[in-house]
Amino acid sequence: MSNALQVAHVSKSFPGVRALNDVSMTFHAGSVHALLGENGAGKSTVIKIVTGIYHQDEGEVTMEGKPVRFANPRQAAAGGLGVVHQERNLINRFSVGENIMLDRLGRHSLSSVDYTGIHGQAEKWLKLLELDVDPRTIVSRLSVAQMQLVEIGKALSLQSRVLLLDEPTASLTPNETTVLFRILRKLRDDGVAIGFVSHKLEEVFEICDRVTVLRDGQNACDSADLKQLKRADVVHMMIGRAERISRREPRQTPNTQPYIELKNYASADGHRNINLSVRPGEIVGLYGLVGAGRSELAKAMLGLAPQTGGQVLIKGRLVKVGSVAEALHEHGMGYVSEDRKQEGLILLHSVLANGGITVWRKLAAKLGILTDQAVISHVDPVLRRLELKTPSLYQTIGNLSGGNQQKVSVAKWIAAGVNFLIIDEPSVGIDIKTKAYLHDLIHELANQGTAILLITSDMPEMIDVADRIVVMDGFEIKGEVENDRNYERVSKGIIGFIHGREAA
Amino acid sequence: MAIGTFTRAFNNDWIGPGLVSLAAVAGISIAQPSFLSPFNIFVLLSAISVNMVIALGQLVIIAIGQMNLALGAFGGLVAITFVALMELYGVPPILAMAVGLGIGTVAGMASGYTIARSGISAFIITLAGLQIFKGINLGITEAQPFYGVPQTVRDFGNVTMIGPVPWLVVPMIMASVGMWYLLNRMRIGRYILAVGNNPHAAELSGINQRATITWAHGISGLLAAVGGMMLVAKLQIGQPTIGDDWLISSFAAPVIGGAVLSGGHVSVAGTFFGVVIIAIITQALVLFNIDPFLVQVVLGGLILWAVGINRWRELRVAKLQAESQ
Repeated sequence: MSNALQVAHVSKSFPGVRALNDVSMTFHAGSVHALLGENGAGKSTVIKIVTGIYHQDEGEVTMEGKPVRFANPRQAAAGGLGVVHQERNLINRFSVGENIMLDRLGRHSLSSVDYTGIHGQAEKWLKLLELDVDPRTIVSRLSVAQMQLVEIGKALSLQSRVLLLDEPTASLTPNETTVLFRILRKLRDDGVAIGFVSHKLEEVFEICDRVTVLRDGQNACDSADLKQLKRADVVHMMIGRAERISRREPRQTPNTQPYIELKNYASADGHRNINLSVRPGEIVGLYGLVGAGRSELAKAMLGLAPQTGGQVLIKGRLVKVGSVAEALHEHGMGYVSEDRKQEGLILLHSVLANGGITVWRKLAAKLGILTDQAVISHVDPVLRRLELKTPSLYQTIGNLSGGNQQKVSVAKWIAAGVNFLIIDEPSVGIDIKTKAYLHDLIHELANQGTAILLITSDMPEMIDVADRIVVMDGFEIKGEVENDRNYERVSKGIIGFIHGREAA
Repeated sequence: MAIGTFTRAFNNDWIGPGLVSLAAVAGISIAQPSFLSPFNIFVLLSAISVNMVIALGQLVIIAIGQMNLALGAFGGLVAITFVALMELYGVPPILAMAVGLGIGTVAGMASGYTIARSGISAFIITLAGLQIFKGINLGITEAQPFYGVPQTVRDFGNVTMIGPVPWLVVPMIMASVGMWYLLNRMRIGRYILAVGNNPHAAELSGINQRATITWAHGISGLLAAVGGMMLVAKLQIGQPTIGDDWLISSFAAPVIGGAVLSGGHVSVAGTFFGVVIIAIITQALVLFNIDPFLVQVVLGGLILWAVGINRWRELRVAKLQAESQ
């Protein structure tokens, strides 16, 4: 087997952080190579170095034995190194064929575009990928999975001998993943070297034959044979300790007056007969399948959808929540969104601005003006408690890892001192270590008296963290399961409530 | 199938404005037969010709997802340079025209290069450009018009070609067909739309963004120059105020024609009907002795209506797509 792409003893430092330290890996032709590591372990830095977005301080990158140092991703693509990023990078108003051939539309700026030729050439690649679409189809009409295949086709059409896929299955259904894997195997057999970045270990074991694990910017293993490894070995290399299984004791919560209580609540979003209460210090899990109306309920409670029936009681007092500002400032409610990047954070703003956004009104009301110092004195202790890793409070939050971003989106509500916090899918895109840490944090918040409503589709997470689990389906509450941390019993109970609908 | 065809036709950007134009022509000519008099048609077509060229100058910038506030300043500067060269130095019209086209293109490319190179928003750079070029214009003219427009140039702007059709439609047709071909069939045009649609993806696909942005502004400057010189021919005078009132209508026509202001999607035919609608409304209000201030109110309303229609169509397409998946 030849070395299609080799990274040898590469180091890279950013101001204040050593991102990569003597990292090596070798991608062979005809092999699918997994690149694993927690968020912040250095995977993206490696990809950015081989594609020329960054340049290494030390070490060497070689392709087929020859040293390469690309100036930018375009050059890398021309040199036979294609990358399919996690987010889609297509011109969605252009046709499939034009997207595949976009950099070959003509020899010079004023050339006319030969659409017949372009669509004919594109067809070849679509056939290879078993993608049954007309190359004249406009990209925006494709499914996400099809778009992903178009991007793979685009990379291959540049004669890529190395194909790096960053979390290719993140937005695919299981069926689509199966198709993608079949095609990847075919490409592998044709001699393409494939790099595969993923958080899903099952997939890695299914498709990959070699693995490089990074931990804290160093090799935990270098191009090891995956057949010699077990899942626990890989997890151990990633986090430096065996995968933790929930052994939390069931918590006792005082039987006090609920902080918030919904009685026969209905919303304009379609919720009906919702009866739900959360006491101070209690963690109530809200479980349901995608589309059950959980996040919608959270948003309705915050005043984003009008209440159309029933009652909402805060500390026994009847209230109507008209807006999110009212929910926060008058009723002490906070919401950690499942969509951190779109709804949870302002990515272009600093850590400080994101952490302090909820307290500005309070601080400014006292002083009339808002000083950084006042915000820092409020926010910094919280961020320290959460062990946020950032070079400074003025760092743009978009540059932090997913786990650290999530810490800030929780921190802003802690800083605001909310009494009731809704946490929606806290561990999407978060590495195992930060996840465990977030779970501890949720417990700590509850122990300090915060009422918590936890929304998650991750059953182990639910059973690890919640005190009792309310099951939702079709915008209604179907039942409640007391959580004694017995995985089998609790999950059976939850599934029973969800399937009860069909029986009834 | 019939419904599919209908939906597709309905989703064409120019159908809506086209129908509105037709209805307006029909309605107004019934109420006021003089609307279709040869003279009135001549006046209407002259206005449409000039405004279309100007709108195309903005269209190419909208396609790339930017805006060119300096469009009118380019046009004004070229217009007075054109006349000044002929009046003060006796330069033949053809040569003066070539210089004018050169100035417009170079000014546009300079502004485009500055935007691409600095990464500062086009709004700011072209706002500065507007001031600079307008200032140069006033410095040269001392706010006085040039009167020495040669007869050939005057004729071009005021003589009919066939029936009531003015010669001015010739540059308009050339610019429109050229722009359509550029955006739909030429590499540079596809790159302009690609950058407007998704700059990041365009960059990763090997498109040179700087060159593309510079080109787009160069084309915009060229069209502003054409528009400025057409106005000189039409007005028979080198007015320093030429270009002052281009801004609103240069945006309004493409938007009425279905252009997406964030870039990546424009329609030349739609823009044409946008220009027609604006011209008809302006004319009709004059014919019916309606207060000219109302023209602005109606134009504003029209822009809101067009944007509303586009938004509604977007939502509908998104909904249809969600349902089909």
